[in-house]
Amino acid sequence: MSASNRIVPNEKGTAPLDVVIAVMAFLAALALGASLVAERAASGWSEGLAGKLTVQILPPSHGAARQGLERETAAALAVLRTTPGIAHAAPLSQADQLKLVQPWLGAGNLVSDLPLPQLIDADIAPGSAVDVRALAQRVKQAAPDSILDDHSHWIGRLRDLAHTLLWSAYGVLFLIAVATAATVSFATRAGLETHSEMVALLRQMGARAGFIANAFEWHYFRAAVTAAAMGAAGAAAVFLAAGGLEVAGVEAVPFLPPLALKPIELVWLLTVPAAAGLIALATARLSVLAALKQIH
Amino acid sequence: MVRFENVGMRYGAGPEVLRDVTFVLEAGSFTFLTGLSGAGKTTLLKLISIAEPPSRGLITLFGRDLATAKPSALPALRRRIGVVFQDFRLLDHLSVFDNVALPLRIAGRREPEYAHDVEELLAWVKLGDRMSAKPPTLSGGEQQRVAIARAVVAKPDLLIADEPTGNVDPEIGARLIRLFAELNRLGTTVLIATHDRTLVERARAREMRLVDGRLVELRMPRP
Repeated sequence: MSASNRIVPNEKGTAPLDVVIAVMAFLAALALGASLVAERAASGWSEGLAGKLTVQILPPSHGAARQGLERETAAALAVLRTTPGIAHAAPLSQADQLKLVQPWLGAGNLVSDLPLPQLIDADIAPGSAVDVRALAQRVKQAAPDSILDDHSHWIGRLRDLAHTLLWSAYGVLFLIAVATAATVSFATRAGLETHSEMVALLRQMGARAGFIANAFEWHYFRAAVTAAAMGAAGAAAVFLAAGGLEVAGVEAVPFLPPLALKPIELVWLLTVPAAAGLIALATARLSVLAALKQIH
Repeated sequence: MVRFENVGMRYGAGPEVLRDVTFVLEAGSFTFLTGLSGAGKTTLLKLISIAEPPSRGLITLFGRDLATAKPSALPALRRRIGVVFQDFRLLDHLSVFDNVALPLRIAGRREPEYAHDVEELLAWVKLGDRMSAKPPTLSGGEQQRVAIARAVVAKPDLLIADEPTGNVDPEIGARLIRLFAELNRLGTTVLIATHDRTLVERARAREMRLVDGRLVELRMPRP
């Protein structure tokens, strides 16, 4: 249908509806983007830490601390290196360990004098199944001051956090969809009221309810897609700006994953105007059909 | 084609504007409905065009009893009726062409199929050069011709017109009546509500007269 022969005219005074849909779409696109970031973070954290083991040897509380630490480190390394499925095991250098605490304690002699534990990084060979609990017991026997961590607890908590964020985003998207439907339903009924004479004329000419609903649904479909596209574009600009900050070295919040969306993820934001259009289409149709049922 | 039996009509709790109206319009007939303003002509046309249900009585249209017809059957019946409204009821945002084509779009036809018919009809009512114009830019007479073209474009079985010549000059009025007569000759049943006595006398058609909501006179055309 060309713009010139649309049965329902473009109305003046519908700007508030457009603004509401644009804002809804902006929020929906932010929620969708957040869900993508959360999903990416969850898989990234899992992949990054999966297959890694860390053994922490606390400075022994008895005997000569330094010698005890070195002896227990060697014993733990021996156990790890002789365990089938462990591809690599190596202690972290003093410099690497200092780097790890630097963000909290800073640099300097004071830090290097602290009795830091010795850390050992170990990698599980891909595809290998290692009984971590049994390994932890053997390492503990060889090095009584050791703690073996396979990061499962940390990974689990991060994954839970990411999934919570993900489902929160889905919940927000659902609520926005409901609010959009309610807004369009209200606008459609107002539109029917505004165009009541036109609706009466169409019925007089023998138009079925479906024909009239069709005229209204495409009217609100176009309005919703246009407004939602503007909202989604605004959200895309926010994610692009976040990416720009990261490129400039400004971290939004430490420990959080990068908030910028990849180009392929930005494409997902196009689903927001599409979904808004479909919601408007369905809602307008159902609203018109329900309203027309009440007329002779 | 149209049968009214003891039909009464009142709006809400108001007085009856039509009382015990009984008549038959035979298929292919040409009839004038006359009466003073407020006599009930427009209400009678609304009942025939299925715009309103009667308060009482029986209306049969195209052989269907409207009281027992399912709501889903009404659109198809309405599409067999062309209506020329007294206030034209053109859609101001649509062009003359699109206004006239509206009944064809409602009937499910596509523009390539009906474009030629619409153009031909608009040329016939001398609006061939105003096809792209919007109704607010037309004179009253031009708007009336658009309304008439829209009513007849789908070649309805029944054409009803409420004061169709009220806003046009005598020459155009005569031309429009000739158009109605031509449609009638082709089989369309025509009912025209008017208080233009000259028109009624000249056409020599059947006349039904409403006085205070009652059909008091049924005059057959003179031989």
